[in-house]
Amino acid sequence: MNIKYKLLSFALLALAPGLLKAQVAPEIQLGARGVMSFNVGRTLQETTSAVNDFSDTGILLGFRQKMYNRFRGQLVIGMQFPDADSDLGQVFFHQTFLKIEDKSNILKMGRSRVRSALIEFPTLRDDDALYFTDVLNPFSSGENTEDNQYGNVFEAAHIFGQRTWLRIHGEHFTETPKPPATTETDFSLNAAGFSLQYRVPETQIWNRPFLQQLGVGFNNFLTNRSGYGSQWDQALKNLSLSTILNLKRDPVHFWDFRAQGIYNFGFKEVDQIDDFTSMTRTRSLSAFASLRYIYRKLERPSWQAAMSFGYKTFPDLLTTSNQVKSVANVFYRLGENFDIGAQVQYAQNKGELKNLLGKHEIRFQFALIYAIDRRWNNQFDDRESLLNLEHGYIR
Amino acid sequence: MNRRDFFKAGAVVSSIALAPQTLLAQETKASNQKRLPSVLNPQMDGDVKVFELFVDIYGQELVPGFTLHTLAFNNQVPGPEIRVNQGDKVRVIFKNKTELNHTIHWHGLHVPWRMDGVPYVNQMPVMQGQQFVYEFVAEPYGTHFYHCHWGTLLHMQSGMYGSLIVENPDDPVQKQFPYEREYTLLYSAHDVNFIRNELNSMLERMKERTYLMKNGRFNKERFAVFDSKEELVKAVKNGYQPPYVVNRRAPAELPEPNWFTVNGKSYPSTPNLYIRENENIRVRLINGGTEEHYLHLHGHDFWQVCDDGLPLPQPWQMNALRLSPGKTLDIIIEGKNRGIWTFHDHDIRKVTNNGLYPGGNLLALVYEDMPAEEADPGMMAKKMGLTSFPIVALDE
Repeated sequence: MNIKYKLLSFALLALAPGLLKAQVAPEIQLGARGVMSFNVGRTLQETTSAVNDFSDTGILLGFRQKMYNRFRGQLVIGMQFPDADSDLGQVFFHQTFLKIEDKSNILKMGRSRVRSALIEFPTLRDDDALYFTDVLNPFSSGENTEDNQYGNVFEAAHIFGQRTWLRIHGEHFTETPKPPATTETDFSLNAAGFSLQYRVPETQIWNRPFLQQLGVGFNNFLTNRSGYGSQWDQALKNLSLSTILNLKRDPVHFWDFRAQGIYNFGFKEVDQIDDFTSMTRTRSLSAFASLRYIYRKLERPSWQAAMSFGYKTFPDLLTTSNQVKSVANVFYRLGENFDIGAQVQYAQNKGELKNLLGKHEIRFQFALIYAIDRRWNNQFDDRESLLNLEHGYIR
Repeated sequence: MNRRDFFKAGAVVSSIALAPQTLLAQETKASNQKRLPSVLNPQMDGDVKVFELFVDIYGQELVPGFTLHTLAFNNQVPGPEIRVNQGDKVRVIFKNKTELNHTIHWHGLHVPWRMDGVPYVNQMPVMQGQQFVYEFVAEPYGTHFYHCHWGTLLHMQSGMYGSLIVENPDDPVQKQFPYEREYTLLYSAHDVNFIRNELNSMLERMKERTYLMKNGRFNKERFAVFDSKEELVKAVKNGYQPPYVVNRRAPAELPEPNWFTVNGKSYPSTPNLYIRENENIRVRLINGGTEEHYLHLHGHDFWQVCDDGLPLPQPWQMNALRLSPGKTLDIIIEGKNRGIWTFHDHDIRKVTNNGLYPGGNLLALVYEDMPAEEADPGMMAKKMGLTSFPIVALDE
């Protein structure tokens, strides 16, 4: 038996008695989200359709309990149905992490959402505007959008006061295996960064001010850039800025605006786009913004409409190249947690991007969405509950 | 030291840390006073006794190591004791420092109907930042209590209850069982998870509602407040979803209390009853919670002398009584059997803290004139390193 497995066996034996005798029943959290859409896409060449696109449907299972001291510990395991054209298989385990946290500190290890975006946007699926909303993974072949969203993460966060978050994170972003290898074998650190965000907790939605969120993020991808010796020069650097503004914080007619810009410093030698990797490694500037309206009846959202617009330009390319994206959607709540929605997306690619992504595409989607978040054996409060935020934190 | 020894040692250390507070020590007796409701002193306005009460959110420690957010009168759970004489003119100025609505109901008192504290029946709720002045004449005499009557299921078990004692100089109990000392014990039961979740939920809703009300946009369906039953029926016919339907907001279960308190504390922080040999003490028992309690005193019978504040024509001798929600019962304990005796809920589920026995409604009747040598812990306890008796044990 190899030494690694011997150590593992020992560790399991040492832990097993404790596990078997554990008396503390953890909190059990269940999150589930079903997104089923009928899609019709049209490009210059063809019209395609999907009777049922259930990508982004997933389930999250969490277990949480108090530690002996002030910390809380949590395990989250989650799986998701990836895009049909991905090579991730039928099911992708997108979340598998452990987290410990106290009032002001969080430590997280495992596979999870990477800090490639500072905020979320009101689109049907998380990756609908991925090229604009996320720092893109320069190690990926681009086949799987999940390569940009999920990775093996080590993250430490400190919260100053209640609203200012400093996060330092290191990741292993998925590297698309090169032939002849068929699976990824190297899981070393290939990205690191930090972010600083001011954000008003969601529980304080009705006493929050005009400024809901303001953030800055800095991501470094640790590449093997040829011709450069120092790690700094080899790093592909991205700077992100974001904000969310509550234009009208009315509980019945609520308006907000959100915007994020990503500047990819790029590698100056990449002056043409041959594939996804080169697209992620050339200098670019992207901006994405959304305007959202929510009508709330009986203290619950009743319907929502949003308009989003994105623009991305690649200044170092030999040919003038840019991307435009617009997304419009409306969702109507049929019942608690259950929505029906429609979305139309339009994407236009100019210059070298035409070859990679096509000149333009318009896509119509009609969807049913069901999302739940339940907790059993609830034993303690959350950091951002109103009681803990406004009436003294109980650890 | 292996893991098991480590925890054994930890348990002994915990016991030793608590053990010096013997029930007979002076400091324990002094601290016991803090476990009884503090009496609220009135200001006099002519011949009117004026009391000031406020409610705020307050972190109450039920036992060492466990604190929860409560709704507390004057930052106390239970609220301070209001003690007046029969026939006194009473004015209570009640201020709401929370973002939730409240009222005060004077349970057992014959107040004018507009002072009874039932929202939308006798008065409008006392909203955020508002105050309401209650005025009444203290009648009848006896053991009563006050509590919030808004969101009563949540607000009462969150701590909004307090004793109200109306004294009578010609009290027949005093004549029959002369006594000098008396104790007030308020019992309650708390589903602390329900309290936490509902308080958070109500705080969120009230922030939203307050925003709309300030803008003059009260909406009957959104606020679930209608002028009449007919109006509600019509609204439901037109598609209105009331909060109690399962597809809107109704929780799946009723609260299931997992903490049980006497005067806002669970064992081992519960108050003790001190007595001397041949002394009578009066104990006023109030149930401000939702659970029944079957209170049993070891080594003694006691006399139930009042029910809902009313003197019984014939005191009943017993050693276990049922204290139902909303009831007040007065008992007389005669100091006839020296020792330290347990006085506890005989529904043993309520002698637990978070499901772990012992805890909850467990307290002691202590003869304070007991010779010290009788409280000697004994050879076995000494071998364990314990120094007093009774020992505070937190596990079986």
